[in-house]
Amino acid sequence: MELLESLKDRFLDRLSPGLMRSALLWQSAEGLVRSPLNRPGWKADNVSLLYFLRYSRLAFQQKKPVIWASLLFPSELIHAGGLIPFYPEMAAAVISRLGLASRFLEKAAEEGLSSDACSFHRVIWGSYSEGFMPEPQLIATVNYLCDSAPLSFLRVSVLDNIPCRILEVPFEENEESIINLASQIEELAILLAKLSGKRWEDYLKDLRETLVLSNRAREHLLEVENMRRNFPYLLDGKDALGHLSVLASMFGHPSAIEFYKKLAKEMKERANEGGCTLSQGKPYRHILWMHLKPYYSDSIFTYLKEHGARVVCEEYNRCYWEEMDPSRPFISLAQKLASHFGIGPSEKRTNNILRLVKDHRIDGAIHFNHWGCRQSTGSTLQIKQALKEEGIPFLSLEGECIDEREYQEGQIRTRLEAFLESL
Amino acid sequence: MVDPSGFEAFWFCAYTPLEILDAAGFTPRRLLGDKDGLEEADSYLHPAFCPYVRACLVEGLKNPTAHAAIFVNACDGMRRLHDAWKRLCGSDFIHLLDFPRRNDIHGLRTFQQSLSLLIDELEKFTGKRITLEDLRNAVNLRKEVRRHFHDLSQGSPGSERLKLAQKAQQLDPEEFLKLRAEKPWQAEGIPLVITGNLLNPSGLVALVEEHGVLLVGSDLCNGERPFMVEGEATGDTREELISSLAEQYLRRRHCARMSDAKRRHNQLLHLIREREARGVIYASLKFCDSYIYDYPLAEKFLGNEGIPLLRLESDYQDGHAGQLSTRIEAFVEMLRG
Repeated sequence: MELLESLKDRFLDRLSPGLMRSALLWQSAEGLVRSPLNRPGWKADNVSLLYFLRYSRLAFQQKKPVIWASLLFPSELIHAGGLIPFYPEMAAAVISRLGLASRFLEKAAEEGLSSDACSFHRVIWGSYSEGFMPEPQLIATVNYLCDSAPLSFLRVSVLDNIPCRILEVPFEENEESIINLASQIEELAILLAKLSGKRWEDYLKDLRETLVLSNRAREHLLEVENMRRNFPYLLDGKDALGHLSVLASMFGHPSAIEFYKKLAKEMKERANEGGCTLSQGKPYRHILWMHLKPYYSDSIFTYLKEHGARVVCEEYNRCYWEEMDPSRPFISLAQKLASHFGIGPSEKRTNNILRLVKDHRIDGAIHFNHWGCRQSTGSTLQIKQALKEEGIPFLSLEGECIDEREYQEGQIRTRLEAFLESL
Repeated sequence: MVDPSGFEAFWFCAYTPLEILDAAGFTPRRLLGDKDGLEEADSYLHPAFCPYVRACLVEGLKNPTAHAAIFVNACDGMRRLHDAWKRLCGSDFIHLLDFPRRNDIHGLRTFQQSLSLLIDELEKFTGKRITLEDLRNAVNLRKEVRRHFHDLSQGSPGSERLKLAQKAQQLDPEEFLKLRAEKPWQAEGIPLVITGNLLNPSGLVALVEEHGVLLVGSDLCNGERPFMVEGEATGDTREELISSLAEQYLRRRHCARMSDAKRRHNQLLHLIREREARGVIYASLKFCDSYIYDYPLAEKFLGNEGIPLLRLESDYQDGHAGQLSTRIEAFVEMLRG
């Protein structure tokens, strides 16, 4: 938080589209991260922060073609071309964290976008209109997790004539549908290779290399997950949910390996130092967190901790795919994408949740119902039923991930209080 | 093995390939849902969810008859309706059909695979092979239904056209073809086109007409849209005909969930000009993301063409639609100049 406060003090009041495109802003921010005064919660956080600051600088300064990608779009394809990946949904979370969301939400409303739409995408619309998002040369989306990304990104494509491609992942995973998806991925790879200026053979060689890097990052991610299973209080859910940006956009880049390797190492060190603490002599209650969190406030997590419960596992922040075969990059990426628990019937998601409940000895589960998120709230009641059958208390918590003005602190506390009592 | 004759196949999304259900021997019927029982859906689907989806689930929960249910993977709403239906409504046959957003070669391949998969599943269920002749007959039958709809709806006001479209989607095709025009329409009013997803003909649509509007076009999925089909599905083999049918569905007038927004807006503009409409009512059911994101783009596009636009939202019951009267009145007054 110290770093965040320094950034706010230095730049927030002066932020303008021009400043976003100046080297000064990003270099100063990178300097702050490297400064000895910066003491991140985890050393690995500096790796991801420096990565995102560097890529944001490159994106705003248009040093190379910028690819807007939605949450599940395989980052390996972009890194193979040495292009600049930019994930607007992640950027919306940062905007909310910095307390800047309301201005852009208002702008989106002025442009006719209903407040029933997901606030991640409302912030993307508003900030793009005001010049606070880097201009893309290509928009690459996936038809999952939700309908919002392919619909919302279309606006930039339609109004500014930016090419937009969508990967259509099949509902049912079978041999034929994976081949179809792989050919869509290959078609997009050809486009990315052209944008990168690389010869196809060279791009393909680099793509195989990014899959090797991605596999290595995955191994370290599994190590982190294993540590969390054995030492559940080392890494709190509020911090772990921040790692979703790494999961979404850094795989295929060496920084992802460094991030998870450093994190696993520090977790081991802290575990050896006895860093797995108890709550007033008793173990904490283990909470599973489903969907995303409010990015502007950590108060839910603080409240849980103060009342003897910790988020020890998050549905979204997990490795969901098998190791990839770099010699078959398109089929491997298709399999990775199609194996996501959010693609397919609700049973797939529910079964994944039941696995997590068992693996992390979960005492209670919280589903954060982000307003306007149809894909996640659409299966809430099915999940509730499945957990009930396993005897796991469930809290369906209505809330907002991005729009701080909609945060109902009192109501949320009352619901958390009742939920914790049920544990 | 199930004898499909007289066995209803419920469907929900306008992209459902009815020809295949006909060819398999089913009686397809679009469910429009139990609008009055929406609150009952709260136990199964989140309240901030498409009211049509919620109404259909309530209708499904009350339906005791044997049936098949065919869903299209068109949006989050339809996916979750499929999941909830599968769990709660006890269908004899249930299938979800992938439908692409893109209408290029990959989209076509996806939809061809989807149609073939549906045919395989139906054949397994009924134990009867769907032949080229079955498919050809079904294609011709649906062509007749579309032609009959256009003949009967000639000159009718929007709410009547919507009711007729719903009949065409709900009745057995042979029954629909027996319908005759009741009277020549002599409707008057300010000519407007209504565009959106699915609306209640007796609710918001009727209210708009009460304000001196003549809806000359209903670009809605329970309106004219499924009847505006370009080209014909043809083929000398079963595979060719399936492929041609897939292409026809991908080329028809689009729902806002498709990724080619420019094509959709141009088609809308063409409809407005062809019907000599003076403006557009952009109306949709709440919580439909496809239309939530499309509206600002359509507004800008039509604004550039100088076409006035009024945005309305419906909760499907439309019990409080009267509250929209002032806005409709102001829009109509503005058009009257």
